[in-house]
Amino acid sequence: MGLLQEILFGLVTGSYIAIAAIGFTLIYGIVNMINFAYGEYLTLGAFVGLLASTALPVPLPVAVVVAMVGGGVGSLVLARGFFTPINQTGPVPLLLTSIGLGIALRNVIRLVAGRNARYFETETTTVRFDSVPDLSVGPVDLLGGFFVTTEQLTVVGAAVAVFVAVHLLLTRTNVGIAMRAMGDDEQLARVRGIDTQQVRDSVWILAGVLAGLAGVLMAIQTNVSATTGYSQILQILSAAILGGAGSPYGAIVGAYVIGLVIALSTALLPSGLTGLSTAAAFVILIAVLLVRPSGIAGTEVREA
Amino acid sequence: MDGETFIWLTSGQLYRMPRGTKTRVRRRSFLAGAGGAGIAGLSGCVSFGGDEGSSGDGGSTESESDGATAGETGSEPIALGQPAALSGQWDFLQPGVSQATDAAVSHINEAGGVLGGELEVIRRDTAVNPQEARTVATQLVESDGVAGLVGLFSSEINPLWDFLQDLAMPVVTPWPGSTYLDTRGGDKLTPDDVSDDEWVWRTVVGDTVHTSGSAVYALEEGFETLGVLNGNTEGERSYAEGFLDVYEENGGTLVERVEVELAQSSYQSALSRLFDADFDAFLISLPQESAITALSDWSDGEYGRQPILSDTLASQAVYDQVGSAIEGAWAAQPGRSGPGYDTFEGIYAEAGDAEINAWTPPSWDAVTVMALAIERAGEASPTAIQRNLGPVSRGDGTPVQTFAAGKEALANGEEITYRGAATPTTFTQHGNVFGTVTISTAESGGFTQTSQVSAADVREYVPEGQY
Repeated sequence: MGLLQEILFGLVTGSYIAIAAIGFTLIYGIVNMINFAYGEYLTLGAFVGLLASTALPVPLPVAVVVAMVGGGVGSLVLARGFFTPINQTGPVPLLLTSIGLGIALRNVIRLVAGRNARYFETETTTVRFDSVPDLSVGPVDLLGGFFVTTEQLTVVGAAVAVFVAVHLLLTRTNVGIAMRAMGDDEQLARVRGIDTQQVRDSVWILAGVLAGLAGVLMAIQTNVSATTGYSQILQILSAAILGGAGSPYGAIVGAYVIGLVIALSTALLPSGLTGLSTAAAFVILIAVLLVRPSGIAGTEVREA
Repeated sequence: MDGETFIWLTSGQLYRMPRGTKTRVRRRSFLAGAGGAGIAGLSGCVSFGGDEGSSGDGGSTESESDGATAGETGSEPIALGQPAALSGQWDFLQPGVSQATDAAVSHINEAGGVLGGELEVIRRDTAVNPQEARTVATQLVESDGVAGLVGLFSSEINPLWDFLQDLAMPVVTPWPGSTYLDTRGGDKLTPDDVSDDEWVWRTVVGDTVHTSGSAVYALEEGFETLGVLNGNTEGERSYAEGFLDVYEENGGTLVERVEVELAQSSYQSALSRLFDADFDAFLISLPQESAITALSDWSDGEYGRQPILSDTLASQAVYDQVGSAIEGAWAAQPGRSGPGYDTFEGIYAEAGDAEINAWTPPSWDAVTVMALAIERAGEASPTAIQRNLGPVSRGDGTPVQTFAAGKEALANGEEITYRGAATPTTFTQHGNVFGTVTISTAESGGFTQTSQVSAADVREYVPEGQY
């Protein structure tokens, strides 16, 4: 298969990561904490979606909405319970609390939900474009036949919808503008009459909604288990840092860079090194940060 | 309770420690308990294993020495430790292994116990994590005072090999397939001389055996060229390499091999690379959850060709999630060909409803052969058990299929040879066992046994002394 197919695979992987990375980076930019428990938010969203689709049962699109709502509510409840009371202690206590919360949540989920992975019942249709001609440059075929599945299109479509929605939220709504103002200078925002706690709550809800969506999409592709989100947290974190921690637009770019590097390194690395594709993405991360410590975007949410 | 030390078993029962261990254990028990409570508080894992413990009331009498040595007084409990996959990527296999362990322990206790005392198993979760396994093994030996271990995976044993040798505690495990153990472990056919021993024995056939069977079967079916997709962990690599050794030595050609990380959200790039090559069949060696993702991607991408699955993948979950595209895929698994299989199956069925997997009968064998070794030794010290594992499993003694029969024969002064459930359980010099290989094929809604490669056929491909 040609490079075009690999790029499509990379875009799909990047889309999963991007949706989650936006939520992760908004928390960093506005609440000023690295939330290591965010992977478990994805897991919670996946379980809520699964519960909705199997126990109620509702159609999958409705289950996705339920997961997003559940993710938002869950995120707010967890924030109120564990992070809001220590908001003023600084980023390090918040970080350590999030690590502990993540471990606790993961194990509680495992205890409650059991050991076995669960699966969404989905039907996937594959659309092939085998007649696309080859376009070889040296040993690499730039075009060539390719395929996409309805599942992949759904993921990419969901990601694009999230990008548009987040952009509109941050630039066209009062709460979005308040988020940016608070991310820029919290004290000044408060002086200007912005209810910073309400903005924080809004960020937690938004991050939870995005985690719920990303969790269900990931679970549809893989499975629902206690480690559904945890297994992706490093890539999410890397995307956010690569893009410029705090910048949702940077997180999107970072996510696609990581997705593409994973796909292309699997395709192009020597046989013995293909198992290091994720490591290759991290090498890119380190290289970019050495050259541009503020990440690709070099801006935070306040300057979006 | 003066001078006595009690610990909680995973079954929720109190276990009284041998008196000789009381001072050391009291301090360590406290530390373990305090540490465990702290960890549990953080991780919420307080009930891991809570339902997994097994057997026994923990009746006790005194013991003269450290390490749960069974006295000749014949009425104190003897504890075995079971490092277990209660969580982690292999936890779906644990219920069958736990049930077989518990069934074996119940059967042994119904037969009067070991050396007249009740046998107990203390089960602790390692999540198949080497660091955790080291902690658990230490805890079981140092704090719980077990007489031997009946668990540990390849992924745990291989990196902990030196540690386990220093521990000098017999490990009879139903799990590991790794080729690493092909020439490591066992008593080197000199049971009385433990100086040359290595303390690991396995009651499941090694990957060398069933990967050989799988490779032989692939060649017999005319698949002369092969692609491989394997995980980048020890177990997955070992399986693929074991397969390839025999496959290539006997005329097969490896065309492409792609190694991948586990738990990826997509394996399409890896599959795309693999299927750019031209081959007849492809081998997938991944844990179940990653394999389901990869095989679903394979189905979505309509890549076709003959799938050959690693041993753990012949499961209903794989069939259900991948769907009809998986029809025709086959996996070679350790056979259930031991002379004692029917006996085991009857007792196992009464113990619960966990599905029997390829590691279930070996678990029964591990507990039974360990108990017989203690019974023959007349004591439960590690060295005594190590010396007796070979003699109760080899030779021309009275063949026995259960602990009860073995105990009776030993009481009559006879030598015994345990005939196991999974295999005949005739330990080789390296503590390995040989058995048939079963071919399970996906058809008509699930995996069914369609063929068998005899132990003798497989033996041809495994040089003497190399296993």
